Amino acid sequence: MSLRISTAPHAHSPVTTQRLMLYVLIALLPAAAAGIYAFGFSALLTLCIACVSSVCAEFIWQKIAKQEVRVGDLSALVTGLILGLNLPATAPWWMVVIGSFFAIMIVKQLFGGLGDNFLNPALAARAVLLASWPVHMTNYVTPTFFQAGVDAVSTATPLATKGASLMELFLGQIPGTIGEVSKAAILVGFLFLLVTGTVNWRIPVIMVGSVFCFSWLLGGSVDGALMAILSGGVMFGAVFMATDYVTSPITPFAQVVYAFLAGLIVVVIRQFGSYPEGVTFGILLMNIVTPLLDRFLPRKIYGYQKEAKKA
Amino acid sequence: MQKKTFRRGIHPLHRAHEGKMPTRNESIRDYVSDTVTISMAMNIGTPAKPCVKKGDQVLVGQVIGEAQGFMSVPVHASVSGEVTAVEQIASLGTGPMMAVTIKNDFSDTWVELNPLGSVEHVDPAKIIPAIQAAGITGMGGASFPTHVKLTFGQGKTCDTIIVNGAECETHLTADYRLMLENSVRIVDGLRAVMRATNVKTGIIAIEDNKMEAVAAMQKAVHGREGVRVQVLRTKYPQGGEKQLIEAITGRQVPSGGLPIDVHTVVLNVGTCAAIADAVIDGKPLISRVTTVTGAVRKPSNLRLRIGTITEDIIGECGGYAETPGKIFFGGAMTGICIPNDNMPIMKSTNGIVVFNERDSKSKNESPCIHCGRCVAACPIGLNPYQIKVAADKSDFESAAKLHVMDCILCGSCAYMCPSRRWLTPSFKYAKDHLAAEAKAKQAAAKGGENK
Amino acid sequence: MSEKKSLGGVLLNGIVNENPTFRLVLGTCPTLAVTSSALNGLGMGAAATFVLVCSNVAISMLRKFIPDQVRIPAFIVVICTFVTMVQLLMQAFVPSLYESLGMFIPLIVVNCIILARAEAFASKNSPLPSAFDGLGMGLGFTLALTLMGSIRELIGNGSVFGVNILGASYQPMLLIVLASGGFLTFGLLLGTFNLIVKKIEKKKAAKEVQAA
Repeated sequence: MSLRISTAPHAHSPVTTQRLMLYVLIALLPAAAAGIYAFGFSALLTLCIACVSSVCAEFIWQKIAKQEVRVGDLSALVTGLILGLNLPATAPWWMVVIGSFFAIMIVKQLFGGLGDNFLNPALAARAVLLASWPVHMTNYVTPTFFQAGVDAVSTATPLATKGASLMELFLGQIPGTIGEVSKAAILVGFLFLLVTGTVNWRIPVIMVGSVFCFSWLLGGSVDGALMAILSGGVMFGAVFMATDYVTSPITPFAQVVYAFLAGLIVVVIRQFGSYPEGVTFGILLMNIVTPLLDRFLPRKIYGYQKEAKKA
Repeated sequence: MQKKTFRRGIHPLHRAHEGKMPTRNESIRDYVSDTVTISMAMNIGTPAKPCVKKGDQVLVGQVIGEAQGFMSVPVHASVSGEVTAVEQIASLGTGPMMAVTIKNDFSDTWVELNPLGSVEHVDPAKIIPAIQAAGITGMGGASFPTHVKLTFGQGKTCDTIIVNGAECETHLTADYRLMLENSVRIVDGLRAVMRATNVKTGIIAIEDNKMEAVAAMQKAVHGREGVRVQVLRTKYPQGGEKQLIEAITGRQVPSGGLPIDVHTVVLNVGTCAAIADAVIDGKPLISRVTTVTGAVRKPSNLRLRIGTITEDIIGECGGYAETPGKIFFGGAMTGICIPNDNMPIMKSTNGIVVFNERDSKSKNESPCIHCGRCVAACPIGLNPYQIKVAADKSDFESAAKLHVMDCILCGSCAYMCPSRRWLTPSFKYAKDHLAAEAKAKQAAAKGGENK
Repeated sequence: MSEKKSLGGVLLNGIVNENPTFRLVLGTCPTLAVTSSALNGLGMGAAATFVLVCSNVAISMLRKFIPDQVRIPAFIVVICTFVTMVQLLMQAFVPSLYESLGMFIPLIVVNCIILARAEAFASKNSPLPSAFDGLGMGLGFTLALTLMGSIRELIGNGSVFGVNILGASYQPMLLIVLASGGFLTFGLLLGTFNLIVKKIEKKKAAKEVQAA
C-alpha cells in the first residue's frame, strides 16, 4: 500500500484565490449595471473592451514569458472591469485597450505578476490615461437612461461645478465615470463583500470617514462634506480600489493608518491641487507606502505582553 | 454562563462540525488485538530501555521498558502473552526506535496492582510518584511526561489546573466521549493532581459545541472541592496550551516559557482519567480512547491497548470504505501522516483519520495575494506570509526576527490561505533549523567551559 | 588591460558592452531631462561627445603632470574649459537647440560619464586610445539619448526629428514626454537592452563551451 505523506494541515478552507476574485466581480456588478443603465450602450462596450483586453494582455504576457497561464484565477478580469468602471463612457476604444495593456503588462507583470505589483494596476493605468489624454478622460456626459431622443451632452462632473443635489449624487443621476456614479450600487457591492468576508470594513469606512472629516474641517459645512464623499470616485475608490489585497496593508492597525492618510490626501488634492479629483493619486500614494506600514507598525504578539495581570 | 475564548483563530470544517459528525454518537467500545507492538519512545525526553527479551512471558501492566532518568517514563505491557520480538521499528519522523512485540494469549492476567485508594484520602506525597510509575504522559498529542509537568521548578508556583476538554481539532471525538462516559474519573484525576500539588482551583474547559459533555461534567463536579466547568466559544486552536490559558485566565505564557511561568498547568481529559486509574486502582497506562474515522466503513471511538497496529484497528472498524490515500494520527489540522498501516498507536494517538485519494491530493501553491487571511487567523499574532518568504529563502535570521520560534504550528494560516501556500512546512523547516542552531551553540558554549 | 585591446574594441566597448546609459547607468539626469524629442537627445549627445573626446585627450596628455591629490579639481577645470567652448559655439550657431537644452549644457561639467572616463581611462592611457574611448562612450551616450528621444517623441508627439510620422489622426500620449514618461521609457529601455545583452552573452558562453 502506498500512502501519501504530507505535513499538516490536511484540510483547507474552501475559499480559494479564484473564489475571492469571483466575489469581487460579483460585488462590482451592481455598479456596472448602474453605469450601463445611466450611460447606455457605450458604457457596456467600454466595460467589455476593458475586460477582454485585460485578459488577453495577461494571456499574451504569460505565453511570451513562458510562465504558467493563470488567467483562470480571474485577477486580470477584475483589473479589467475595475479599469473599465474608472473610465468615462465616452472613452475611445484604443484608449481602453492601451489602459488594459499598461495595467496588466507594465504595472502587474513587469513587477512579478499577481501578488508582487506594488501599485493597483487599474488605478495606475487610470493615472497614466489621465496624464496622457486628459481631454478624453474627462469627457463626461449627462446620463441618458436609455431615453429616446435625448442626446448625450458633455459636461463637467459635479466635483468641478458643484451643481447637483445629494439625492442625485447618491442615486447616480450625474455625469462621471461608469462605475462611480451610483453610490447606492457601490454600497450594495460593499455589503456583498462584507457578508462574504472578502474585505473587512476598516479601509472603506475609515477612508470615507477621513474624507468626510477633513472636508468638513476645511469646508466648514456638513452639507459640503456629504457632497465631498458622494461626488467623484471616493466611494468607488474606497470600496473597490483601496481594498485591493495586493497593494493594501494587512495588519489591522496599518489598515487604519493607510485608509486615514489616503482620505487626507484625497481632500488635500481636491482643495489645493490642480486636479478636481484626488482619489486616484491618494490611493496610489498610499499603495507605495503599504509595505512600510506593514513592516514597521508594531503588532501585539502572544507572549510578549508586559507583566501578566495577576488573577 | 459567560463563554470565554482567545484572540483570533479559525473555524475549520465548521459546517455542522462535518469532521466530527460520524463519530459523535459512537460510544466507546473495547478492542483487543492479537499482537501489539509497543514503542519505547512514546514520550518527549529519553526513551525507555526494554527490560524483556524474546520468548519471555509477560502479564498485563508488567514493566517492559524501564524509565531512563527524570525526563522519562516506564512502558508497560498492554496485553498478557509471549514477547515475540524486541527490535527497531520505523517511527513517526524521529528515526528508528526500539519496540517490543507481544503475542496476546487473551487471558488478560494482570500483574499484582498496588492501589492507593480514594483520591480524597490518599497521602498527597504518594501521588506524583504513582503517576510516574504508571507511565503517564500527556495524552492530547504532545506526550510530555506528566510527572515532570507537575514537579514545579524552584520558585515556581501554580494557582490553577486547567483540564483541556476543548478538543478543537477536526474529526476527533475521543475526549468528548470520554467526558460523557467517564466524567467522574476525569474529576477524580483532577482532584488527585490538585491534592498532590496543593492547588485550590481546577477548571475543566469545554467548547460550546459539546454541551452534552458540559452537562455531564457539571454533574460530575457537583460537590467536589474547588472544581468547576468553564464553557468556551468554539474556535481552533483553543486546545493549544497557550490559547487555552489565554482563554481561561487572560494570561499569556511568555515567549519561550512554560505554562507554569503564568502559574497554570494544563492537562488533557484523557490524562486525568489515566491519573485516576493509576491512583485509585494502581493501574498503569495501557490503553487509551482513540477516534477512528474518515474513509472507514464503521467510524468508531475505540478503547485500544497501546501498541495496537493500525491495520487491525481499521479491520475492527469494518475496513476501508475507499482506497486510502493518506492516513494520519491526530486531527486534520496537526495530524502526522503514517507511511503504512503497520504503525502501532502510541500513548498520544487520539485519532486515526483515513482520507480517500481525492482528499489526499496535494494542492499546488499559487502566488500570495496578500489577502491577510493568515494574519487574521494566527492565534499568536504573527505575520505568516512574511515568515514564509524568509523561511523559503533560508533566511533564518529574518525568520527569527519575525518570531517564527513563537509559532505553534497549529496550521490555522495554511488552512485559511486561498492560494494554498505551504506555510506550516516552511515554518517547521525554519524552526527545526533554528532549534538545531541554538543547540549547537549551547553545546559549543559548554565545550568551551570544560576546556 | 585596455592596452591590449584594439582601438576598434575600445570604441565598440563604449557603444555596447559599457554603454554609459544602459549598462553603466551614468548621466541619467540629462538622459531623463532632455530626451523629450529626438533632436534634443542628439544635440545633447553630440555636445557631450565633443567634451568627452577633447577632455579625454587633454587629460591623457596631462596625466603625468597632474598630482594625484588634486586630480579631480584639475579634471574639472579641463572639462569646464571644453563645456564653455561648446556652450558658446551652440549659442552662436544653433541658438534654438541651445534654448531648448538650456541649463543642461553647463551641467555637462558635472556629468558623471565625463569625469568617470577621465578618472578610469584617460588618466591611465595614452592620448589615442583615450580619444577613441571618449568617442565610443560619446557615441554610446548619443545613440542612447537619440533612441530614447525618438521613442518618446514618436509616442508623445507622433513625430521623429520634427517630422510627423503617425499622421494627423494620431492622438499623442502626453505622458511619455512628461517627466514620469521619461522614467518609464528609461526603465523599459534599460530592461530591454540588458535582456538582449544577456542573451548574447549566454549564446557566446554556450558557443565557447561547445568549442571547448
